Amino acid sequence: MIDNIRDFLQVYVENWSNWGPQIYAAVGVTIQLTVASFSMAIVLGLLLALGKMSRFPLLRAFCVAYVEVARGIPVLAILFLLYFGLVPLGIVFDAFTASVIGLGLSAAGYIAEVLRAGIQAIHKGQREAALAVGMTPMMTFRYIILPQAFRIILPPLLNMLIILLKDTSICSLISTEELMLRAKDLAMMSFLPMHLFLLAGVIYFLLAWPLSIATRHLEKVMQRGRRQTFGI
Amino acid sequence: MGAVTTIGITLASFSGAIILGLALALIRLLGLRLINVLISGYVEILRNTPVLAQLFIIYFSLPSLGIMIDPVPAAIIGLSLNGGAVLSEVFRSGLNAIHHGQREAALAVGMTPWMNLRYIILPQTWRITLPPLGNYAIALLKDTAVVSAIAAPEIMFWARNLVTSTFQTTFVYILAAILYFCLSFPLARLVERFERRQSAWL
Repeated sequence: MIDNIRDFLQVYVENWSNWGPQIYAAVGVTIQLTVASFSMAIVLGLLLALGKMSRFPLLRAFCVAYVEVARGIPVLAILFLLYFGLVPLGIVFDAFTASVIGLGLSAAGYIAEVLRAGIQAIHKGQREAALAVGMTPMMTFRYIILPQAFRIILPPLLNMLIILLKDTSICSLISTEELMLRAKDLAMMSFLPMHLFLLAGVIYFLLAWPLSIATRHLEKVMQRGRRQTFGI
Repeated sequence: MGAVTTIGITLASFSGAIILGLALALIRLLGLRLINVLISGYVEILRNTPVLAQLFIIYFSLPSLGIMIDPVPAAIIGLSLNGGAVLSEVFRSGLNAIHHGQREAALAVGMTPWMNLRYIILPQTWRITLPPLGNYAIALLKDTAVVSAIAAPEIMFWARNLVTSTFQTTFVYILAAILYFCLSFPLARLVERFERRQSAWL
């Protein structure tokens, strides 16, 4: 048993000079992909959330429909549509761009809901008071609503980041050169699937776990703050 | 065709995930320290790695240990193991949400621990966990798309095959997206109704 484990680990030591640099580069792409699509999703999500709360019925209807559709379709279907499905129409993305757009479009639907819930959780007296002391609607949003909503929004937002990090693995299926694809290619070349997929799993875990712990910690901190405000 | 497989895989892994998740959550209640550490290790690992990596380990890596599994069973096993980890947290918070007086009262009137679980605790937990369970079912339905990567013949897999035979790339992938939406949208409305009904009597 001990020998088996030692043999198993020995393979990593022997192959590390070959695998190491490739895996390292692939992890970089995975992180880039996560950060880029998360940024896009936040910007788009905020616009959608504001659109859902706007005065214009048409804009509202569009944003509601977008959120429903984005949340109802798997990321893989969106990625295939972007990467393969638009080619006949003359729209060609490279795999990385298609992945960022696809993940961003999909995650924006979820983030819009998170942001809207956070913003609407702020008592409307806050806004009224800010307007009453002469703040412009923009200032109210920037200095009164957002800072308070931010605390409610942060834990689910971090959760979304974890989901995105894991979803980047799906981009390997449209040949984005990220961790999962690199692991799969190396597994095919070396005939060591167990070693490489386990390695990929461990790397994803090492990336996602600290975020999970941070999310849980933030949730606890948030609750503490809320209890104090109500003086219980 | 593909839609039937998608629904089948979703239902099978949903049942698997519920059984596994409930079992893990109940075992955790026993308070055995070593087992609890093992279970939370399992939950943390499965929740913090992509489903795709788990599926690849089951489908591509296990054959090197001499364990061969067909695509559809491999998909169901992978999604059930993953879902079990997610749902065990859902059930755990559901079980924790029930006031401990409920259990004490049930035992005080002479119920056995099993009867307490069966007639007092689980029916209440069920009500609390129904909305998150529904949300998980929707997530699972969409996760089945990933299963096409290990060649299980569901919607995305059929879409890819159709594309290679008809070259109607745009049309086929839009159709696939619409099909998923038609499956997940009614489910989402159903979950919303459950949520509303629940908050009505709470």
